[in-house]
Amino acid sequence: MSTRQKTSESQSPRYSRREFLIRSGVVGVGAVSLPAILSACGGGGGSSQATNTLYFENWPGYMDSETVALFKKETGIDFTYTEKFNDNNEYFAKVQPLLAKGKTIKPDLVAPTYWMAARWIQLGWAQKIEMEAIPNAKNLRKDLKSPSWDKNNEYQLPYQTGIAGIAYNASITGRELKSVEDLFDPAFKGQIGMLTEMRDTVGLIAMANGIKLSEISSFDQVASAFDKLEAAKKDGQIRSFTGNDYMDDLSAGNFAACVAWSGDVLQLQAENPDIKFVIPEEGGTSWYDTMLLVEGSQHGEQAAKWMDYIYDPVNAARITATVQYISPVDGVRDELVKLGGETAKLAESPLLFPSDEEIARLQSWGALSETEEAKFDERFATIIGA
Amino acid sequence: MTGVTSHRQRTVRRPELVGLGVLATVGVGLIAIAAEWITGVGATVIAIFLLAALVSVVWTAFVGGLDARRALAPYGLLKPGMLWLCLFFIAPLWSMLEMSLSSKKSRFDFLPSFTWEWGNFQKALTDFAPQFGRSFGYAAAATLLTLAIGYPIAYVIAFRGGRFRSLLLGLVAVPFFTSYLIRTIAWQSLLSDRGPIVGTIDKLGLNAPLEWLHIMNNGRLMNTPAAVIGGLTYNFLPFMILPIYVSLEKVDVKLVDAAMDLYSTVSQAFRRVVFPMSLPGVFAGSLLVFIPAAGDFVNAQFLGSPETTMIGNSIQNQFLVQLNYPLASAMSLVLMAVITASVLVYARFMGTEDIA
Repeated sequence: MSTRQKTSESQSPRYSRREFLIRSGVVGVGAVSLPAILSACGGGGGSSQATNTLYFENWPGYMDSETVALFKKETGIDFTYTEKFNDNNEYFAKVQPLLAKGKTIKPDLVAPTYWMAARWIQLGWAQKIEMEAIPNAKNLRKDLKSPSWDKNNEYQLPYQTGIAGIAYNASITGRELKSVEDLFDPAFKGQIGMLTEMRDTVGLIAMANGIKLSEISSFDQVASAFDKLEAAKKDGQIRSFTGNDYMDDLSAGNFAACVAWSGDVLQLQAENPDIKFVIPEEGGTSWYDTMLLVEGSQHGEQAAKWMDYIYDPVNAARITATVQYISPVDGVRDELVKLGGETAKLAESPLLFPSDEEIARLQSWGALSETEEAKFDERFATIIGA
Repeated sequence: MTGVTSHRQRTVRRPELVGLGVLATVGVGLIAIAAEWITGVGATVIAIFLLAALVSVVWTAFVGGLDARRALAPYGLLKPGMLWLCLFFIAPLWSMLEMSLSSKKSRFDFLPSFTWEWGNFQKALTDFAPQFGRSFGYAAAATLLTLAIGYPIAYVIAFRGGRFRSLLLGLVAVPFFTSYLIRTIAWQSLLSDRGPIVGTIDKLGLNAPLEWLHIMNNGRLMNTPAAVIGGLTYNFLPFMILPIYVSLEKVDVKLVDAAMDLYSTVSQAFRRVVFPMSLPGVFAGSLLVFIPAAGDFVNAQFLGSPETTMIGNSIQNQFLVQLNYPLASAMSLVLMAVITASVLVYARFMGTEDIA
C-alpha cells in the first residue's frame, strides 16, 4: 500500500470499488433473506380449490399413454400423470415432512405397494374413496378383495399386481427347480440371489417353513425364516441382495437362481429362453400396487372417475398389453383376445394369467404394527449387511 | 485541506466494531432461521432485524466517510462467504448435531425430540464398526491404487505428452461424459462369471494365485472386496491424475538437467527433485479420492456382496428404510469426524501446513 495508491483512491469517482462491494453485498443479503421473510409471513396458505383436475403419481414405465389421452378426452378432466414414484421407502421419506404436519401433497393419487398403502392408511394419510361412484369396481379380482388392512375396500383399488417366486437359469442349474429349498442347495453355493424387498424374500422362506403370511403379526413368528436366511448368507450360499438389477445377474449367468418378480421374467424370456419362472410349491407372494387417495386432496370425484375408467376391462386390457403385469381386473383376458395379433398371444401367457391352481398358492402379508415392522426391517438390514 | 478536516469530523467511532458486530449478528440470525430454532412470527422479526442491521452498516459507511468505509471494507468482503457458510454449512451441520442427540417416540415420529441421546453415537460406533472399518480400509486401498496408477499417467502426460498433452488430458476426463452409475454397472458385465475378464484369467491359469491373494473367491471376481475396491479405484482415478498433472506441469525440466549435471542418476533426480515438487498434487489428489470414496455406497451396492457393505449403504438404509434419522445423523457425524481427523493427521505428515 503506497501513498500514491491512496491518493488515487481518494480522487476516484463517487462509486469506488470498495463502496460497490459493500453495496452489492447488502443487496445480495437482502435478496437472500427476503424470500425467508415472505415465506414466514405467508404461513400455510395455498389450499387448492376443487377444480376439475387430477394428479396421479405412479411408478415409471407403468402406463399406456393412449389410455391417459383417451381418459382426458372422454371426461374433460385436466389429468396430470407423472412417474416419480420410484421407491416405496424413498417416497415415504419424501412426503413425510408435509403429511406428518397435516399438510397435503400435490398428487391426488399415489401408487404405494400394498404394505406401504397399509402404513399410509394407519397413519391417516389416505382418505376414503366413494366406491358407489365406481361401478366397475365389481370387476376387481376376488383374491384381491378385502385385505386385512382395508377390510371393507374403502381406501384403495389395486393398480397392477405381480408375483414373487423363483427364477432360474436352466442352462446353469441343469434341472428344474420347484421348491424354495432348491435355493439352499449347496450345489448353487455363491450363485443365489435374493431381493432387497423384505416381504418377498422372507415371505418365500417363511411359507417354506409352513407359516401363513396373512397371519404374521409379530417378529417371533418368523424368526426361524430370518435365521435360515442369515445362515445362508454367512456360509456364502447367497451371492448378493439386489433390487431390479437381479435381471442382469440372472441373464449373465452370475445367478443360477434367485427370488424374482414375474413381470421381469416375462421380459427376460424374450431374450433368453433358458430363464424360467416358477411359483414354488410351498407358495409364492402376491404383491400389488394400489391407487390411494391422499388425505387433503380435493379431487375425490375425479379420482373415482379415473378408477372406474381403468377398471373397465377394455381399458385395463390396453394397459396390460403395454405394461405386461398381471391385471387386477376380471375380463382382461377376453379383451386381449379381441385385440388380436401379437397382443392376443399375451392371453396365453401363464405369467400374465396364472391358473386358478397357481393363484391358490399365492399369499400376501397382512399389516404389521409400527414397532413390529421396525423389528423386521432392522433384522433384515443386518442380514443384507446395511 | 478543509475537505479532509470535514471528513475527520464525520468519522464514526470504531466502525470496524460495527462491521464485525453486524457480520456476527447476521450470521447467527441466519443460522437461527435455517436451523429452525425460531420459526413463524419470530423468524420474521429476526429477519427484519437482520435487514435493519445491514442497513445500519450502509448508514455507517455513508455517514462515516472514507475512513469508516475503509475500516468496514474487510467485513464487507468477508460477508458473502461467511453468510453463505452460515446458511448452507453451519446451520445444516447444527441441525444434524441436534438430530444426532435426539430420540424418537415411535418409528414414524417425524420430529424427534432433543434428549441428549448419546446412545446414538454408541450404537453408530458399535453396531456399525465393521462398515466403518471397511469404508476406511477400502478408501485407503483405492487411494493407494489410484496413486500407483495415476502418478505414472500424470508423469507421462506432463513430461512426454508433447503436442498430445491436451488430447491425453481430455481422454482422462472422458469417462465423466457417462453417468457414474452406468460406469459402475458396466463393470458388472465385465467382471461377471462368464464375462471377458474371468474368461481370460481362466485361460491363463491365473485362478490359483488370484484365489491365494483373496482377489478371487470361488472362481469369481464379482461381489468380492476386490471388485468394490477396483470400482472405487476406477471411478476416482481422474481425481488423482488431474491434480498431480497440474503440479508436475509446473516443474521446470531444466531442474532435472541441473540435477544430472550435478551427477545425480535419473532415479535420484526424480526422488529428490521432481517428486518433492509434485507433493502438493499428490496431497490434493489423495484427499479428492479418499474423502468421497469413504462415503461412497454405489460401488459396494453394485459390485459388492452382503459382506462388503460400506458405511454409506448403512446410512442410506437408516435414513430411508429404518427412518431412524437420529442414528443416521450420528453415523454421518462420526464419518465426518474420522475423515477430518485423518485429513489433519495426513496434512501434518505431508507437511502441508496451510491446512493443518
